[in-house]
Amino acid sequence: MRNGPLFFLGLFITLSLSWAGTVLLSQHQLGALAPYYDEGESKSFPDSLSGIAARGQLVYADLGCAACHTQAVRRPDFGADQARGWGERQSVARDYIYQTHVQLGAMRLGPDLTNLAGRKPTPFDTEDLMKLLYTGMIPGTKVLTHPPYAFLFEDRKVVGEISAKALKFADGITAAPGHEIVPTERAQSLVAYLLSLNNTYDYPESRPVAPEKKDGEKHDAAAPKAAPAPGAAPAPKEEGKK
Amino acid sequence: MTLSSMSSASSNGEVTATDTTARGPLLLLLGSALLWLVISGVLALVTSIQLVHPTFLAECPVFSYGRAQALQESAFIYGWAANAGLAIGLWVLGRLGGEPLRALNWVVVGTLFWNTALAVGLVGIATGGATSIAFLQLPGYVQPAMLFAYAAIGVTGVLAWLGRRNPCTFASQWYAVAALFLFPWIFSAAQVMLIWSPVRGTLQAVAGGWFAQSAWTLWLAPLGLAGAYYVVAKIKGRVLSSYDFAPHAFWCLLVLGAFTGGRHLVGGPVPAWIPSVAIVSCSLLLFNYFVVFLNLRGAFGAGGTALKLIAFGLAAYVFGGLVDAITAFRSVALITQFTHFDTAQQQLALYGGFSMMIFGAIYYAVPRLTGRAWASAGLTSGHRIAVSLGVVLLVVSLGMAGWIQGHDLNDAKVSFTDIATHTRPWLLAAVAAQGLLLGANLLLLVNFAMSACLSCCSAAPTDPTLFRQPSTMEVSAS
Repeated sequence: MRNGPLFFLGLFITLSLSWAGTVLLSQHQLGALAPYYDEGESKSFPDSLSGIAARGQLVYADLGCAACHTQAVRRPDFGADQARGWGERQSVARDYIYQTHVQLGAMRLGPDLTNLAGRKPTPFDTEDLMKLLYTGMIPGTKVLTHPPYAFLFEDRKVVGEISAKALKFADGITAAPGHEIVPTERAQSLVAYLLSLNNTYDYPESRPVAPEKKDGEKHDAAAPKAAPAPGAAPAPKEEGKK
Repeated sequence: MTLSSMSSASSNGEVTATDTTARGPLLLLLGSALLWLVISGVLALVTSIQLVHPTFLAECPVFSYGRAQALQESAFIYGWAANAGLAIGLWVLGRLGGEPLRALNWVVVGTLFWNTALAVGLVGIATGGATSIAFLQLPGYVQPAMLFAYAAIGVTGVLAWLGRRNPCTFASQWYAVAALFLFPWIFSAAQVMLIWSPVRGTLQAVAGGWFAQSAWTLWLAPLGLAGAYYVVAKIKGRVLSSYDFAPHAFWCLLVLGAFTGGRHLVGGPVPAWIPSVAIVSCSLLLFNYFVVFLNLRGAFGAGGTALKLIAFGLAAYVFGGLVDAITAFRSVALITQFTHFDTAQQQLALYGGFSMMIFGAIYYAVPRLTGRAWASAGLTSGHRIAVSLGVVLLVVSLGMAGWIQGHDLNDAKVSFTDIATHTRPWLLAAVAAQGLLLGANLLLLVNFAMSACLSCCSAAPTDPTLFRQPSTMEVSAS
């Protein structure tokens, strides 16, 4: 390799090749992905994030939630994602087109959150998530499953009436006498974002890849809205580990 | 090419004009690298404790697990790996170029700006500015500054390459120049695609995967290999075995390396050809690992701290490539994806491969830069033994934890609380490993600081006892 300019050109070409081969080609394939208009519902999907949820996504990013939680459900024959009740169909690229900070994540120390607000039978509500973030325990249990992020809450003296947003504890956990635990604005945005995560709508491309099950009875590729395998899915409220 | 022709006035033929003129700037780069290594070690200890004890520092938003992990990763990549890799890369280019390094003031300025920007960026992450993109966690506002600082440091390398005395080049020069040139390209491309004008939807994951993989295969791995190729050839004192294949291995790494990033997206909401191409590339890339192993196999069984560490690094680099190729397959990825096993592979590459090769190069370079032997032989061997044990323990424990976690995750009946219980013993071992690594790197920092101080404080260097006879160095450099 005596020729410096030729060597330099080689470096440039190799880099461009991998960039074009992965990023540019997929941009060509997915870059113009449009929302899907459902004539039956007279509405297009996915929904765009509300203002408070978009702010919550920034909180999700700055706290590094993606270090423990993914946001992508895989197809039924690849992992136990759907058996765990994380979603009833696989995630597709169209789900993410309105997200400014896509957080697929690379680690599952806790459950996948793609479809947190669409879990069966009863998804978490605001109060559940607030308590989970504050105590680190799923409401109704005594097992620490998440780091308690008390810094997202304000422990303040009650002045006048107790705030409507103050956490209403059961199970013996209470604020100090005369105090209340109130979610900060960051906590409210984060929870609004988490409750906007809902992938229940079926796109045409999210249906076909499910293979026929061997026993052939409880699976129907044409009706992906069918509930996941009965008995296999733990109720969402039993899940959750940091 | 003989190096004796360019020996400085120093009594020892081992120390060349490149070394004496570049002493200050390169020691500055290495010193900051080691400081960041210790800082990232403290943060790694914090995150590993949080894995077994979730309430540890949980009330402190600065050290929430996600942020502490982003801090640790950034301090390791942009603090330790970048500073140390650049120091070794520039040193190799200067020595093989045959002329003293030029524009060294730019290196000093660049280093100061790079590390200041990094420190600002880390404060930014701690206070809520993280981008949450793997390997690119630093807030957007410091990234352009880092690009300019990098360019300032790189000027010296470019001049050394252009002004080289011998038009023929050596393998370590190819790797060093490639790393030096390619990083600004991938870094700026990633900034545009992910920070300034983010691409749409899951394309962000594709672009992020391309960047993270490129940062390893096109930047850090070549820097580590540049040091390893140089030191092995110098110490062994003869042409590397199967050296004719080295160019093929080099271009193989550059062409295929960045394509392998898509393996982490298997099963994800991206076009299926992306992981497929990555799986094929991982297998083809084995050619690079095989040839590098053939070239550098002289490092095995040799004495001396530098070669022992490089032999460890080489083994980890090759083994890491093999594990990457195996876990890329969908049937294996089904178990290892989203688990500690991924972390183990990353640590095997970054700590076992890159860092060990760079440690070896540092043990070889610093005595030549300071003009005297390492201050303490005890600290030197203490560091070598502790860091080797630490890396093995870390990779094995995280790998086992990940394997258990992967099997448990695929069984919908196992709750996350149970997974935490099953992996706990191995994660405790990982805490011990991080503690050991931190202790080891403290030894290196102390040893480095003592050596650097001694060379500054006393004018007349004593006879470096660790040097070999200069006469034996008068051989082809690569």
